[in-house]
Amino acid sequence: MEIPYTASVRPDTGVTNQTLGMWLFLASEVMLFGSLFSSYALLRSGAMSWPDQSSIVNVPLAAVNTVILIASSVVILRATAALRGGDVARFRALMATTATLGIVFLAIKSIEYRGELAEGLRPSTNNFVGLYFVMTFLHAMHVTGGVLVNLFLCGPGMVMNRRDAPRFLGRVEAATLYWNFIDVIWILMFVVLYLL
Amino acid sequence: MAQKRQVRVGSQWMYARDAEKALGEALRVMKEEEEGHGHHESFVTKYLFSQDHKWIGVQYGFTALCFLLFGFFLMIMMRLQLGWPNQPFAVIKWFFHGTGTMLPEQYNQLGAMHGTIMVFLAIVPLAVGAFGNYVVPLQIGAPDMAFPKLNMASYWCYLPGGLVMLASMFLLQSKGGGAQSGWTSYPPLSVIASQGQTWWLVGMIFLITSSLLGSVNFIVTIIQLRAKGMTWDRLPFFVWAQFVTSFLLLLAFPPLEAAGVLQLMDRVAGTSFFLPSGLVVSGEVLKNAGGGNPLLWQHLFWFLAHPEVYVLILPAMGIVGEIIANNTRKPLWGYRVMVYAILFLGFMSFLVWAHHMFLTGMGTVISAFFQTTTMIISVPSVIVLTALLLSLYGGSIRFNTPMLFALAFLPMFGIGGLTGLPLGLASSDIPLHDTMYVVGHFHYVVAPGTIFALFAGIYYWYPKITGRMMNEALGLVHFVGSFISMNGILFPMLILGLGGVNRRLYDGGMQYALGQPLHGLQVGMSYAAWTLALFQLPFIWNVFASVKFGRVADANPWHATTLEWTAAPTPPIAHGNFETIPAVYRPAYEYSVPGSAEDFVPQNSGPV
Repeated sequence: MEIPYTASVRPDTGVTNQTLGMWLFLASEVMLFGSLFSSYALLRSGAMSWPDQSSIVNVPLAAVNTVILIASSVVILRATAALRGGDVARFRALMATTATLGIVFLAIKSIEYRGELAEGLRPSTNNFVGLYFVMTFLHAMHVTGGVLVNLFLCGPGMVMNRRDAPRFLGRVEAATLYWNFIDVIWILMFVVLYLL
Repeated sequence: MAQKRQVRVGSQWMYARDAEKALGEALRVMKEEEEGHGHHESFVTKYLFSQDHKWIGVQYGFTALCFLLFGFFLMIMMRLQLGWPNQPFAVIKWFFHGTGTMLPEQYNQLGAMHGTIMVFLAIVPLAVGAFGNYVVPLQIGAPDMAFPKLNMASYWCYLPGGLVMLASMFLLQSKGGGAQSGWTSYPPLSVIASQGQTWWLVGMIFLITSSLLGSVNFIVTIIQLRAKGMTWDRLPFFVWAQFVTSFLLLLAFPPLEAAGVLQLMDRVAGTSFFLPSGLVVSGEVLKNAGGGNPLLWQHLFWFLAHPEVYVLILPAMGIVGEIIANNTRKPLWGYRVMVYAILFLGFMSFLVWAHHMFLTGMGTVISAFFQTTTMIISVPSVIVLTALLLSLYGGSIRFNTPMLFALAFLPMFGIGGLTGLPLGLASSDIPLHDTMYVVGHFHYVVAPGTIFALFAGIYYWYPKITGRMMNEALGLVHFVGSFISMNGILFPMLILGLGGVNRRLYDGGMQYALGQPLHGLQVGMSYAAWTLALFQLPFIWNVFASVKFGRVADANPWHATTLEWTAAPTPPIAHGNFETIPAVYRPAYEYSVPGSAEDFVPQNSGPV
């Protein structure tokens, strides 16, 4: 039994199952992060006092991280383009670069966390620090998931490319959508949690 | 010599003896095919970690019915306490290992877990996980769900979630018991409650993951896997209902996930997202940073929970629509209007959440806004109900068990909906808020509303799943008994509420002067609850016994038009659902078409 339109586009809807599924998943992610951002807005607007955010968190490190994540988003797009063009070796190298940049992001993030924990900051310190830890950690977990998927796609997952190339391309495209989405969420977090 | 009677096989009439021969032949061929194709599945992949939407549907259905029964059992214990406050009972002693007299915190546990189990572990998994999973791919002519592995994962997130909830009740009795802050888990009480609440939150995160996986799967399946010719205006109403439901699950649950994570942090990491400054607990000011907002939880919770109400009711409407069209032998009256109505309903359900919060001091402007949207959202529900009622007009109605339950749904959901209007208006909500009237209102919607529709669906699709019919006489007993005793439990709630009795009073209001004269009602309701339990026995027997002893169903026992009956074999084949994927040529409910030989024209019957 074969599920239709797993990798091929259904003519009247114009999408594959994989792409549509990923867009729907991202819609739910928008609601997840959206409600966290809304909670932030509600708690901050109702607070008697709110700490000076940029003096608590490490803005320079986060700025470096932002650049890294944006760069990785560009690289993964190039990787998808390479696969679409049939250049498997180039795809592999670029996808591995994306995953590496993701790991670097996580490494820098953990340095940030260490610094903050060393200063005695805890989620219970105040609501800003609490939200900062919850939101950035949730994001870091999303990055971790993305890194694992990206590593799989440029490693053992590539077997599928020989067996069923269109389906593999579909997977890579879905992973690209996800990775870009994480990037956008991080940019919003950088603005809201670090700069505002 | 006795007259030879003919039976119908597919579209052919033949003598019973010939049919028996043909059946034997068919069974032999099918067995050969199965062995020949080498579908050597182990027990684990076939029954435990199945990726077949039909088996997953059965898994969901069975698990959800077990939870339904357990949730009902919790209610029975509450009714003992409400009817005869503070009297010892053996069953309470057995369950709580105490003296047999129910303590207030034990009553709170029962209330919280009854609500949680019924909504998240029984009704939604049964309506969406079981019926949606089993029926939707068959009705749209799909070989399976779009993502079979995700489908499997969805069930295997649901089950642990449910088990965590159960475990919190059974394992934690020495540590304060399971969650006891209501199914709404309002902070600050839920944050300072005993350990069971943490388990509740963990369980909820599993359940949210499960429904997320399920809803993505449903939407993609319905958009992508419709058979050739199954255009949007030919979709059975049930599929439309599941489609809208899935969008609600997809978009409404994540805010609760966020809220759940924040409450978990409040409980385990000492944050104070939902704890205001200077909160006094047991006479001492709580030593946390403060500055949180308990209303934030209510907003996030109801942003899920109001759409969730429509998740509970939409699949029920879909089931009732199918059964009414089938048993009136008429097309649904106003199919298109009904579809637009539920689409609008789905959209509006995201804009009414704060009508649960009129008494939180949001201010009159916001109250007025949510009161207006609430009045607007009642319109599409009334449209659907009216269309279903009008569908009855002029039909030659067959009163079989599914139809009886479907017909009962109409007035019961009607009462449920209409008693909701006074709650949706901010001014009349002030006296009615948090009384038994509210309990009566939403139980009328969900219990004799949704659950009756689910019963109807079980009787209707049972032959599809097992190949045998359920017993009609037992069905009639089940229906009449349930209908009367259900009303015997729920209608007095409305009277108690109007009399001013608050909900969540663990002695049923006996400590208040206004509750004492109404106590007779509480006793009567408790007897009605036992009667209801009694009348579920024929149903339970019917479900299990009919697998073996039920009359063998032919391919299309209800003479229905939709694909699950007309194109898929009964019971359906394990992989791929159809011998060949059918093509669709007509709308979903072509009953009594003038000039056609029979009173129904299958969706897949070719162009004339």
